Amino acid sequence: MEPSIESYIPVIFSGLQYTLILTFGGIGLGLIIGVPLAFLEVLGPRPIRIFISWIGRIIRGIPLLVILFIIFLGFPALGIKLPPVPSAIIAIGIRSAAYQSQLFRGAIEGIGYSQYEAALSLGMTKWTAFRYIILPQALRIVIPGWINEFTIVLKDTSLAYAIGVSEIFTQAVHIAQVILDYQTPLLIVAAIYFTITYLSSLLANKVYSKLMIPGLGGGIRR
Amino acid sequence: MSEVLRVENLWKSFGKQVVLKGVSFSVKEGETKVIIGPSGTGKSTLLRCINLLVKPDKGKIFLDGEEITRPGIDESKIRTKIGFVFQQFNLFLHLNALENVMIGLIKVKKMPREKARKIAEEALLSVGIDESLWKKYPAQLSGGQQQRVAIARAIAMNPRIILFDEPTSALDPELIGEVLKVMEDLARKGTTMLVVTHEITFAMKVGDEILFMDGGKIVERGPPREVILNPKHERTRRFLSRIKELYTLEGS
Repeated sequence: MEPSIESYIPVIFSGLQYTLILTFGGIGLGLIIGVPLAFLEVLGPRPIRIFISWIGRIIRGIPLLVILFIIFLGFPALGIKLPPVPSAIIAIGIRSAAYQSQLFRGAIEGIGYSQYEAALSLGMTKWTAFRYIILPQALRIVIPGWINEFTIVLKDTSLAYAIGVSEIFTQAVHIAQVILDYQTPLLIVAAIYFTITYLSSLLANKVYSKLMIPGLGGGIRR
Repeated sequence: MSEVLRVENLWKSFGKQVVLKGVSFSVKEGETKVIIGPSGTGKSTLLRCINLLVKPDKGKIFLDGEEITRPGIDESKIRTKIGFVFQQFNLFLHLNALENVMIGLIKVKKMPREKARKIAEEALLSVGIDESLWKKYPAQLSGGQQQRVAIARAIAMNPRIILFDEPTSALDPELIGEVLKVMEDLARKGTTMLVVTHEITFAMKVGDEILFMDGGKIVERGPPREVILNPKHERTRRFLSRIKELYTLEGS
């Protein structure tokens, strides 16, 4: 008997919670690690700057699947045994941190030294200048790039399939194996990824034009 | 009158280029000192050394008798006592005019918002920026307005001295006047000021002393009338004649 589409669509959607947990967990972890790294890479002491930029370079130079396997399959040898979901979040988060730190570094450097200098001249400390002058501008400038990173992370959560996390792609493949039809479940899962990606870029544009300030970040858009 | 700022034998080089070659002078309370000289002679570097944005190689700087070039000094604390007005205004681009003036009071002086707002409003009014402009972002203001907000930002902090780094050099000619007028008012009210500028008329009107710098040294100094109308050194004469030529041309 040919199973109806209605019967397996809910199964795919049941994976959505994991897809979202991995996406938000990964992007969130990447943000928490990435922003301080960007700060240190621009304003930190020289040895720290060099150290951080090499760490980032190494992580960006390794495929996510390899990082994922190192954490899930390699770490147990060091006595660190993590279940699939936390492993995936950490792997995705570390990789995203390496990219987000570059995004923020670019935004921070784009703001220009003169803003920083003006802040110091008022008597602000390095940190206060960063927190109240540099970061608020960087956060605005970074929005389009950051949403792009968000959509990359969203799509890369599908790699968690390899360690058995039942997110939407895993669910789709499993269904395909049962019903012996790959095309339909995969098209459905593709449509879900596309829809979330599309909606988030719509949202990003809204937020961007709402938060954008005339003259900020070069400001072609007024 | 007490001495607010004293610079003693200041030296600074960037790589092989020696920018400051033993500069010494002092500024007394309420005085306006004007530094003139060709570009690339270390005037900006000198101001940046005083503001501790650049570390001198040799020499000492004193603020109210305290050596601020000694190691271990709290740089941020010293900078709250020194106002700085930049050539390119450098207003914070994400803050409106009022917030630009308030932020130092709130985040550095830890003032409550309401008090900071009051001081900021007074400062803005004193430089002729009225309420209709307070909510405008820097990019929505003219250069002259931006520079006046920047001056308000500096005076709101109630510093011991304000350093001006060619404050009118980035302005369109018709906007220079409004900024100079604000600076003249400040000088007359007894604000202690150290001004790097090419505005000879400003120097004549309110300067207590002119320092002519060339090649990293103070070549000539004295009362404005003396230095400008009757310069003793050949280099001062040459520089002034070029400046005057430029301004006569502009004026005609």
